Amino acid sequence: MMNQQQNQSQGQQMMNESDYLNVILSDLKRTVREYTTATTESACPVVRRMFTDLTNSTLQLQGELFQVMEQNKMYTAPSPAPRQMIDKEIQTAQQDHQQAHQMSQQHGMQSGAFYHQSNVPNHTSNVQNPYLT
Amino acid sequence: MNNMQMKPLSGKELDYIADSLSNENMLIKLCATARSVSANAQISQIIDQHLQVHEQHTHQMIEMLKQHQQMAPTQSH
Repeated sequence: MMNQQQNQSQGQQMMNESDYLNVILSDLKRTVREYTTATTESACPVVRRMFTDLTNSTLQLQGELFQVMEQNKMYTAPSPAPRQMIDKEIQTAQQDHQQAHQMSQQHGMQSGAFYHQSNVPNHTSNVQNPYLT
Repeated sequence: MNNMQMKPLSGKELDYIADSLSNENMLIKLCATARSVSANAQISQIIDQHLQVHEQHTHQMIEMLKQHQQMAPTQSH
């Protein structure tokens, strides 16, 4: 089994601090997601409260680690979104929201989207129930 | 804390706790390993703090299991 020195002289490296921290960061993200799911699926309120606390606590750990890694230049910063894409998203979002908002305003009123004023009288039966005396 | 009414632990809740205990265990091991190769004082300190939190999380969940032991039905064979 090759030892550390041999590995380094041949350009091979065992995992370093940065590698481990990246693994921990990914694991913290995954754990947060699982705690969130567990929270929403808890029937016992005491259990739900515990998972809520665990979610928040783990989220804090993930945030701290991310910050430390950024400060130590262990994390590649993502490239910023271009201005045009943001402008387009604002436009789309406002249009979609307008539609949804209009629908919410109409709901419950007689002029609502699915309300239809009847144009025929109610049907009256022309047969008698044979089982009634 | 217990204004809330405790219910018996469901199978699903037990599974989530079991999985979460495994997650915390793995994070403790990962932190310990990162700590052992760390040469950076700031990072070592952060990792030590994280280790403490993961320990707390583990104890919290084990305590929750113990609190629910009494309410759990016993299986008849």
